[in-house]
This record gives sequence, structure tokens and C-alpha cells, in this order.
Amino acid sequence: MATSGNELLIAFDPEKCTQCAGCQIACKSWRELPFGVQFRRVLNLWTGRYPRVKSTSLSLSCLHCVTPACAAACPEKAIVKRVENGLVEVDSALCIGCRLCAAACLYGVPQFGVNDTMVKCDLCPGLSKNGAAPPCVETCPGEALTLIGISSSEKLLHEEQIIRLLSMHNRSETKEPMCRSF
Amino acid sequence: MNYQQAYHLARTNGEEIVPTVCGMCGPGGPGGGCGIYAFVKNGRFTKVAGMDESPVNKGAICAKGHAAPQWVYSADRLTHPLRRIGKKGEGKFEKISWDEAIAHIAEKLRQQKTIYGPESLAILAPAKRSYNDYLKRFLTAHGSPNYGHSGICAMQRAFAFTYTLGDYPRPDYDQSDMIIYWGRQPIYSGPVARPARAFLAAKRRGAKIIAIKPSVEPDVGMADTWIPVRPGTDAALALAMLNVVIGEDLVDHAFIEKWCYGFNRLKVHVRQFTPQWAEKICGVSPDQIKEIAYLYATTPRATIDLGNGVEHSPSSSDAIRAVALLMAVTGHLDRPGANLFIAPPKNAPRDISLKKRYSKALLAKLVGPEFPIAFQPFLEGLSSAYYRIFESVLSEKPYPVRTIIAPGTQPSVSTRGTKQVIAALQKLDFFVVVDVARTADMPYADIVIPVATGYEVNHPFQMVPGWLMATRKVIEPVGEGKSIFQFFLDLGVAMGYGEDFWDGDIETAMDDQLAPLGMDMQGLRLQPTGVNYQQTDHVFEKYAKVFNQSSPRLGFPAYLPQGKVALYNTSFEAAGFSPLPRWHEPPESFSGTPELAQQYPLILADYHTSKNFSASWQRNVPLLREIQSEPVLHIHPNAASTRQIKDGDWIKVKSPHGWLKVKAELYPGIRPDTVMILHGWWQGCKELGIDDYPLLDGGANVNNMYSVDPARAYDPLVTAMTSQTLVQVKKWEVA
Repeated sequence: MATSGNELLIAFDPEKCTQCAGCQIACKSWRELPFGVQFRRVLNLWTGRYPRVKSTSLSLSCLHCVTPACAAACPEKAIVKRVENGLVEVDSALCIGCRLCAAACLYGVPQFGVNDTMVKCDLCPGLSKNGAAPPCVETCPGEALTLIGISSSEKLLHEEQIIRLLSMHNRSETKEPMCRSF
Repeated sequence: MNYQQAYHLARTNGEEIVPTVCGMCGPGGPGGGCGIYAFVKNGRFTKVAGMDESPVNKGAICAKGHAAPQWVYSADRLTHPLRRIGKKGEGKFEKISWDEAIAHIAEKLRQQKTIYGPESLAILAPAKRSYNDYLKRFLTAHGSPNYGHSGICAMQRAFAFTYTLGDYPRPDYDQSDMIIYWGRQPIYSGPVARPARAFLAAKRRGAKIIAIKPSVEPDVGMADTWIPVRPGTDAALALAMLNVVIGEDLVDHAFIEKWCYGFNRLKVHVRQFTPQWAEKICGVSPDQIKEIAYLYATTPRATIDLGNGVEHSPSSSDAIRAVALLMAVTGHLDRPGANLFIAPPKNAPRDISLKKRYSKALLAKLVGPEFPIAFQPFLEGLSSAYYRIFESVLSEKPYPVRTIIAPGTQPSVSTRGTKQVIAALQKLDFFVVVDVARTADMPYADIVIPVATGYEVNHPFQMVPGWLMATRKVIEPVGEGKSIFQFFLDLGVAMGYGEDFWDGDIETAMDDQLAPLGMDMQGLRLQPTGVNYQQTDHVFEKYAKVFNQSSPRLGFPAYLPQGKVALYNTSFEAAGFSPLPRWHEPPESFSGTPELAQQYPLILADYHTSKNFSASWQRNVPLLREIQSEPVLHIHPNAASTRQIKDGDWIKVKSPHGWLKVKAELYPGIRPDTVMILHGWWQGCKELGIDDYPLLDGGANVNNMYSVDPARAYDPLVTAMTSQTLVQVKKWEVA
């Protein structure tokens, strides 16, 4: 995948993820998130049937979508997409906690913390100085997560890949959908 | 991140960093040794980053490692020495001082030594930790051989391998074209990075990956082939693979001719173990057995990574020996991409376990030998099996152990037979718990010793192949506890063994161990990210050397009397055991007890490792509990639907020995005839308002479910207690 472009993204490669959950807990610890609030989740996705059953991994957080559905859904215009780096940011002073963003997001990203305003992954700008990557990326033993800058069209491809993975999950025979159905 | 990055990040945020070793795989120093940067703000331990410079984890760190600050400051931390004032099991204690606690234990041990002899003391070994040699040292100084090793971990493989092959053959992940992960969890077992990275690199290289285990874990999800074997039946599968490999003449005749003893007898012996025979036991189709046997034998660079999963059945030693024989007859030993004999590291710290004082007289006092007397001591020294120590308390045979010290281990949730263990704890004269946080058995303790974690003390050093690193104090101890090392030093001095215990000075003890490395603790601490050692290049086909290696028995006779692979094992035969691997049924199974299977139609086994908990610990850590809040039983959707069980329902799981109340997780990646649960559930989480679960019936402690029948539950050669039974599963009905 190219690494030039101003759409920042923590890209995920399911072929390199061992579901150790290090990223999920690194995120929770470094961002001091309370119980129940998760900026990043590690999912196990089932396909097929015994004995030809397969499991695939997905470490999921905000993709900072090219066209963010959360921003479009927000009645208070509290969510904006930055032109310079592609980041989708929430202004907690404007957020009224209506959860329309959560209903709009295909990936189940928006979380509601102690103030009941929307919180989510912001790519840890304060932690990725001096060449260090965000804690979730730093801690991954398989380098399944990488912080990259890509073009809009490349990011759209990545969004589609994640949608495909999530669809597998929602079709599986055991789970209640963890994200919106497709 | 690296040192500079950590340093600058900390400075930006008004924090400090302490480069040290992760302490989450065990109290007072794990065996794993992942390097970390601990972040400290205003004297409080706040966060962890993996250390790039550590060759163990290379910057990665697992979920447990990140949760360390919550564990250190947990509401369940033990902060004061305690003396029991209520009845056993009641949990009433009074605070006492460290010195009072040491004096109390020493007085009791002195009394018992005089009346019953020093062997009346047993110390239970936790998983392999950096302090285990201190337990052995104390026991030997005291005069007891009763080091209580689990009987279900690592040494079982080591024993069957060394007495068959002269060494424990390690998989050559880096060069193999085919890796069989057999009863093995390469992701969560031990330090996160090394085996996980080797697994991913092999996959990227295009190596064929085969996983043999009853359920799909993440490694199986990435494997090319899954062999869903029934729990506890690996020996039948391995014997049938031998049948195919030898029957179809897929063997390395030149290697057998030169380096193996007893091939013709093995050839005749394995004729009975046809794939059709094995299918009835292990549930794997004859075609699949033939396919993997053929693939393994005909792939020159093929390796087997045999895991802890094969160490939990009465046929454990047979399984391991049969796998060893598979490696040997196909010539997959010490060749590129196969299983390698790794030379011991040139640089090693001093062994302080006092093994030189072992004698026939000491050996004869073992209360419940983990390995037969004829094969003691083994690699970790003299050992009694953990559970057999409790058995001795109840049966008083050959004599009752009077004092048990449990440093970093919880018998009522760690070993089988919880009802018997608790009965033994009720009856036991004196029980000492030494741990970081509240333990399951603490209500039965006479004295409780609080332990400082590795984040609160300046020792020990950690040595793993290629790396030596100092443990550094991150914060001041949160309570009055000292390290587990200091506990044994202080007790040693109080017992009058001061000369053997460096007169109580921990720094001298560490320096003594480091001396052969030309290093001391002060010097080591000057190296922020430790010292790296060059690892020697591997020399292949060292058969003449390895097949003549000395065993650790008294007088050091060779493992292999013929100087060849023991296909037919004359040492075992001479000691009264089978010279060839055979099949022993578990106490309860479809093929062994079909009548019982009518009433209990599913097989139950348990997982021994998880991504978020270390054995029976750390359920009290909110960050880790959030990943998995409640104990769940993995059950196939078909098995669940016939019982009207839905995902998340509470269920009752009943075996002939006990019952559990847990939740169902519908799990497509498990044999439909098998259900599995993680072991070690008992502890609540005060921070999240979750209560403890009962240790016995109605709780979630899987060890309460298994047979401990001395005639059927043990492997006769290596102990290996069964962790497999038959169960019925029903939806929980509210009364």
C-alpha cells in the first residue's frame, strides 16, 4: 500500500493479526478510557461450517472515512473532516450526545464516555511524536497495524475491505451483529 | 518504542520512564522477560510501552503487559502480612509485621522438622518463574525433596523427549516448509512476540501450517489445515501416524540403521494402531490421518511444535514418545527445517538450587514422585507431583506432608480435584500463602505473606537466550510486602540457614548468580536496555553428541543406554514401564466408558492459556476483565441448538465429579462433540462490582470436574493428570 497522500489511517492487515488484543488494551491504558469505552476492538470473525470453519481477525477503530457518515448525520455539526490530514474530529463542546453518529457509522466506532459526548480514535496526535507510532501500532507483534498516509481512492479501498470483513461477521451463525447489518 | 522515544515522550508529558522487565506472567518476576518502559507520573505507575531494544519482544507487549498498573494498584493487592484468627476457610485474619510472620513460620518449621523430619515441608512450584530456584534452595537446605511441580507442564514433554531422543527437539520455525502445531498455542503461551512472529513469518514464507487441537484459536484460523482431535487422545493419533509412516515405508532407513535402537520391534508393535482404530478414539478420519502422516514424512523440511495440550492425559508420555519416534524414523531430527537439538547457551548464571547436595537418602523421601524414583532427579531437580502432595495429606501415605508453602500458585484452582484439595487444606497442619494479590485458597492460610511485584523492587535480573536485563524498581512498594526472593532469604536466615542464603542480602545473592557472566547487579543496572549476547550458530546433525548426553540422575548416567534413539526403551522396561508407547484410555471417554457417555454425551476439556489472564490470576484487573467479563463454555451451535441453548445463556455443565454454572458461547470452531472452558475462574473484580465464584459445585472452576482416581487419572510415567471428562450441558433453569 502506498504511503504518500494526506488521508491518514491506521491500516489493518488480517493476515498479520493474531488476536492478542495488545492493541485494544494499549489504547485503553494510554488513553485512560473507562470500562465499556473502546476506541479499538479486536473481533473474531467466523466463516464456513465445521469442520471447514475459518476464523479471521479484525482490529477495528475509526477509519477517518473519506466521506464520514457520522459527520453527515450530526445535527450540531460537531464532527468535521480535516482537509490537511483526513482526520475526522469531534468538538465535544458542540456534541449533544444524541447518538445519531453511532447509528450512521457502519463500523460501530462512536463511543460515549463520562460526559456522554462522542469519543473515538483520533490517531493519538500527542503520543506519536519523536517517531513513535500510536500505542496500538507500537505494541502489535505482527505489524498488522500501520499508520500511513494514502490517497482518497486508496482509503476507499481500505474501507471496502473492512466492510467485507464485517459482513462476514454479521453473517456468522452465532453472533448478534456488533455493527450495523449490510 | 526505543529508549529515546520513551524518554522524550515522558518528558513532554511530565513523566519519567523506568526501563525494566514486564512482571505480568508471574509474581516477583516471570520467566518470559519482555522488556518494557514503565511510565511514572508523580510517583505513580501509569503506563507501559514495549521496549524495541529487547530481543524478546522487540517493542511489542501484550494485553496483560499493558494492564500492569491496574494490577499493581488493585483493590485485591495484599499489603500486610496476615495471621489467621478465624476457622480455616472463614477468611478472618489479623495484621502482623513482616518479622513476626517470618518468625512464626520459622518456629513452626523447626518444630515439625524435629518431630516429623524435614520432608514434612513441601513447597508448591508455580509455573516456571525467575524465583523457582530459591524454592529449591530452601527445600534442599531444609532437607526436603518435596518441590511440588505441577505434573502437567513442560517437564512431561522434556522427560519423554530426553529419555527417547537424548534432548528436547525444538522446531526450526525459520527454515521449515511445514509446521505442525500440535496441542500448542503459539500466540498466548509465554511472551507474546517471539512465537507469534515466528508463526507469522513462516506463514508469509509460504510454509504449510497444520494445527492439531480440538478448537479453533487464532493460530488455527490462519492455518492451512485443522485436525480437530478429541481432547486427551493425541497418543492414539500419533500411534496411527507411526502405523502409516512405517507401514507405507516412508521412513529414513539410513538414519534408523545408524542412529535408532529397536526398529523391528517398533515396526511389529505399531501394526495394531491402524488409522481406523485411531478414528474411534480420536475422532479424526483415517484419510486425514494418512494425509498428514504422508505429508510430514515426505516433506524434508517438516517440523512439529508439540505443546502443553498433550500433557494432560494418562497417555501423555505415550503421545510424546510417539511424536518423538515419528521425528526419528522420518529423519526429521537436527536437520534444517526439522526439529533441532539446541546447544545450551555458553553464558549462563550460576545454578543456585543446591543440586550437588542431592543424595539417595533425600531422593527416597519424595512424598509423591512426579517421575518414577528410577528417573529422579530430572531437569528441574527432585520433584513431587503437586497434586500428590495434597493426596499425601489425606491418605497419610507414604507419610503426610505437614506444611505447604504456596508462593505464587493457587492449588484449589490450579490442580485437579478441587474437593480433595480443599479437604486437604482443612486437614493440613500449616499453610502459608505468598502472593501479590488475594488468592483462592487464602481463607485456609495460617500465614499470608504479601509480595512486592517486580515493579516495586530492584531485582532479580532476567536472563533469556541472548539477553540479560535488570529488573528496576518503578515505584515504591504499595504495601509492606517484600519480594518473593527476600521472603526466602529472610526465612532462610530465621531458620539458621543464613550461610546458604547470603546472610539475607539480596544484592549479594544476585551478584553471586551473575558472577559467571562477569557481571554484577550494579553494573547491569548501568545498562538501561540490558546486555545482548551473541548466539552461536547452529551445528546440525550432532547425533553422536546428543545421543550420549548425560541425564541429571545421581551419577549422571546417559539418557540413552545404546547411544541411539530409544525406539524400544530398555530404561523404561527395566523400571517396569512399557518399552514402547501404547494407548491408555482417559478415566472417562467415548471409547473407554461408552456407558457413561449415554448420560454424559459431551467431552469437556479446558484451555490453559488466554490472551488476557495468567492462569488463575488477574481476573481482578478491570482492563483484562473487560475483554472477557464472564466464564464461558465454548459449545458448537449444533450441540447448543439441540439443547435450546442460545449464545450468552447461563448453563449447567455436569460431569461425574462436579458441576459448573457458566455462560454459553456458541462457537462454530469446536468439535460438535466437545466443549471447552478456560481454566482458573474464581476471582471477582471489586473495581467492577463482580463477585468471586464458588470454588466447588456451582462455580466456574473447571478443576472441580475431573477425575483424580489414582489408578486412572495419571500417566504412570510422567504424572500428567487428566484434564478431560464427559459432561451433560443444560440450559440453566431459574428455580
